[in-house]
Amino acid sequence: MLETEELKKVFKGKTAVEGASLYIDKGESVGLLGPNGAGKSTTISMISTLLKPTAGDVRLNGKSVIKNPAEMRKVLGVVPQEIALYAELSAYENLKFFGRIYGLSGKQLETAIQQALALVGLKERQKEIVKTYSGGMKRRINIAAAMMHEPEVIIMDEPTVGIDPQSRSHILEMVRKLNKEKGLTVLYTSHYMEEVERLCDRVYIMDHGKIIASGTKDELKSILSSEETVLIELDRPYPEFFKELQSLDTIKQASETEKGIKLILPKGSRVLGQVFQASERHQVQIINVNVQTPSLEDVFLHLTGRKLRD
Amino acid sequence: MFTFLKKDILILIRDRTELAILLGMPFILIAILGFALSGVLSGNTEVLSMEVAVVQEDDEQQGLVRFEEKLADSGMPAPARQGIMASAAESSPASLLQEVLNDEGLKELVVATEMDATSAKAALEEETVVAILTIPENFTFDALQKMIMDEGNGSSLQLMIAEHAATQSEVFHNIVEEFVWSLNFESAIAKAANGENVLPEAGQTQVGGVESVSSVNPINSFQYYTIGMAVMFALFVAATISGMAYVEKTQFVFQRILLSNHHPLVYLGGKAIAATLVTFLQFCILFFLSSLIFGAFDLSEGPFWLGILLITASLALCVGALTALLTAMTMRFGNDTITTVFSGGVVTIFAFLGGSFTPTAGLPAIVQQLGGWTPNGAALNAFLIWVQNLDMGMLFEPLGRIALLTVVLLSLSVMILPRKGEA
Ligand SMILES: Nc1ncnc2c1ncn2[C@@H]1O[C@H](COP(=O)(O)OP(=O)(O)O)[C@@H](O)[C@H]1O
Ligand SMILES: [Mg+2]
Repeated sequence: MLETEELKKVFKGKTAVEGASLYIDKGESVGLLGPNGAGKSTTISMISTLLKPTAGDVRLNGKSVIKNPAEMRKVLGVVPQEIALYAELSAYENLKFFGRIYGLSGKQLETAIQQALALVGLKERQKEIVKTYSGGMKRRINIAAAMMHEPEVIIMDEPTVGIDPQSRSHILEMVRKLNKEKGLTVLYTSHYMEEVERLCDRVYIMDHGKIIASGTKDELKSILSSEETVLIELDRPYPEFFKELQSLDTIKQASETEKGIKLILPKGSRVLGQVFQASERHQVQIINVNVQTPSLEDVFLHLTGRKLRD
Repeated sequence: MFTFLKKDILILIRDRTELAILLGMPFILIAILGFALSGVLSGNTEVLSMEVAVVQEDDEQQGLVRFEEKLADSGMPAPARQGIMASAAESSPASLLQEVLNDEGLKELVVATEMDATSAKAALEEETVVAILTIPENFTFDALQKMIMDEGNGSSLQLMIAEHAATQSEVFHNIVEEFVWSLNFESAIAKAANGENVLPEAGQTQVGGVESVSSVNPINSFQYYTIGMAVMFALFVAATISGMAYVEKTQFVFQRILLSNHHPLVYLGGKAIAATLVTFLQFCILFFLSSLIFGAFDLSEGPFWLGILLITASLALCVGALTALLTAMTMRFGNDTITTVFSGGVVTIFAFLGGSFTPTAGLPAIVQQLGGWTPNGAALNAFLIWVQNLDMGMLFEPLGRIALLTVVLLSLSVMILPRKGEA
C-alpha cells in the first residue's frame, strides 16, 4: 500500500539519503535497521510528508503524496524519535489536544483518550504532568499520541531509545499486538537488531544513506548461510592472540566482544584447530566456545564490516 | 484555532518562570521606578531647574505693626506682648518664605525673582518662568493672627503653574507645600493651576513628552511607569509565545500538528490570538494591581477605564501580529535566534525609544519619531494622551499608527510562513 521510489535527500550539499526504494504491504510489519546517522529518520520524514525529497517519489496506493499529502496524513500515525509532547501538560491533556486537532470531540474524544492510555498502560497516571514522567513513560505517551485518530499505518522512529527494560518490552509487545491482532501496518525503525528481529517480518538495512540489503529475516540470514559464527569466551582480553586470529586467511572476520572474540568462518572450515593451537601458544584461558546461527547483527557486520552500535 | 489557543494559555499558566517575567518583573519595576522617581520623572536636577516669579503684595513691616496693635487691643500684658512680637519678627512667615526660596541648596533648582503682578504674568506667558507665587496682601498679618491667636481665616499663598513645564512647576509646588506644612499653617494653597485661561494656546499641540502633556492633568511616577512597564513587557509576550513555537518545532510537536492536516496559517493564527489575549490579561492585571497597591489610577472611574481598555486592545492585537511574525520567522529559519535577539536586544531598544524608562521629550526629535512607530511607544503615547486629556479624538493618531503596524506585521508574517506544511 505504501512505496518509495529512489528517494533522495540532500541537506546543504550533504547527501543524507540516496536511492532509497522500499515498499510496505497492508498488515505487514517492516523494519528499517541501521546505525545512528544512517538516514532512517530522514527517510521516514519523507515518507510521512514532513520533508520534501530532493528526488524520488512516495506513493500511497499508487498515488504520489508529495504534491498532495493530505491523504497520506489521514491514514498515518507517526511516532517521532523525539518526545513530541507538551512537557507542561498532563498525559491526558496532551492526548486531548492531539485528539482535538484530529477533529475528535466530546464522547468520541474521551473514548479515544482512554483507549490510547489503556494501550500504553498508563491509565492510572494520566493526570500527571509529562515532565515528571520517566523516560519510558514519556515514550509510551509519545506512542499513544500517534494512535488517537486510529491510523492504518504507524511509523515508529526508534521508539525505545534510552528507556528501562520494562517499558521497552511493554512497547515491543504492544507493537507486536497492534500488528498481529489489530492488523495495523507497521514501519519500525531501530538500531537495535533484536527489536527488529523480534517484531518485523521484513527488514531493510540502511547504512550511509543507502539501503544495503533487504528481505525477510531468513533471506537476509541466508546471506550468511555459507558462514558460521563462533563466540570464544575469554577470562580477559588477549591482544596478541586476537591479532594472530585476524591474520589467519581462513577466518573471514574477527572482532572483539565484551566477553571475548567473535569469529565468522566459512561453513565447515576446519579452522578451529588452528584457533586452539594459537590459544595455547599465547597461553589464553578459554572459558567457553559457542558456534552460533547468524543474527541480523552478523548480517550487518558482514555487509559493512562494522557493528550496528559503535 | 481555539484548541491551539487554549493549549498555549494552559502551558503559559503552568510555566512559573514565564509568568514571573511577564507579570512579576514589570510589577517590581513599577514599584522600584515609581518610588525612586516619585514626583520627579527624571533624576536630573538640571532638567528640572526652573525660574519662578514671586509677587510680593504683602507689606511685612506694616503687617507686624498691625499685629502689634492687635495684640495691644487684646489686653495682653506688656512683657508677654514683647516676647511674642520678638519671635513674630524673627519668624514672620514672609521672611521665612524668602529664606526658603533663597536657600543655597535650593538655588540650583529654583531661581526666584521678585516681580510685580503684571510682569510676572507676562513672564509666565513668555515661558521665562514656570510658576508665579503670589504672597497676598495682609499675608503677614493674617498668618500671624491665625498662628498665634487662632483668629481669622489665616492666609493663602497663591501658586500659578505654567503649562509648558509641568514637572518643574510640580516640583516647585511641592517645595511651597513643604514650607507651608513646616510652618504648620492652617492655610491652604490655592493652587490656581494651569490654565487654559492663563495660556490658552500652549500645550496640547505637543504630545509624547511628559512635561508638555502632563500639564493638562499631571501624571505621577506610578502612573507613568505602570504604563511604561506594561507596554514594554507586552513585547515579551510576543517573545514568549513565539518561543513556544520554537520548542514545538524542535520537539516535533509542530510536525504532529501538520500531520493532522492543519494549515500552518491556522497554527499561526492560534499563536497570534493567544498572544493578544495574554497581553490583554497582562495589562488588566498590571493596571489593576498598580492601582490597588500604589494608587496609580482611580479604579472607580468607568469612562476612564473604557479608554484604557480600548488602547490596551489595540496594542494587544499589535502584539499578536508581532508574535505571528516572530513565529513565522522561527518556522522559516528553523532556529530561535530571532526570538533571542528580540527579547535580548530589540525589546530594550524599543522600550528606550518608546519612552518606557524615561520620557522621550528630552531626546532628539529623530528618537521621538522612531519611538512613536514602535508598538510600545505608540501605545505609551496613546495612554499618556488619554490619562491627561480623556479625549478620544486625540487617540486617533497613535492608535492609527498601532493599527497600521498590526496590518504590516500580519502581512509580513503570512508572507514569511513556510507553506504546504513542509517542516
Ligand atoms: N535537517 C538536517 N540538516 C542537515 N543534515 C541533516 C539534517 N537531518 C539529518 N541530517 C544528516 O543526515 C544524516 C542522516 O540523519 P538521520 O536521518 O537522522 O539518521 P538516523 O535517523 O538513521 O540516525 C546524518 O548525517 C545527519 O547529520
Ligand atoms: Mg534517527
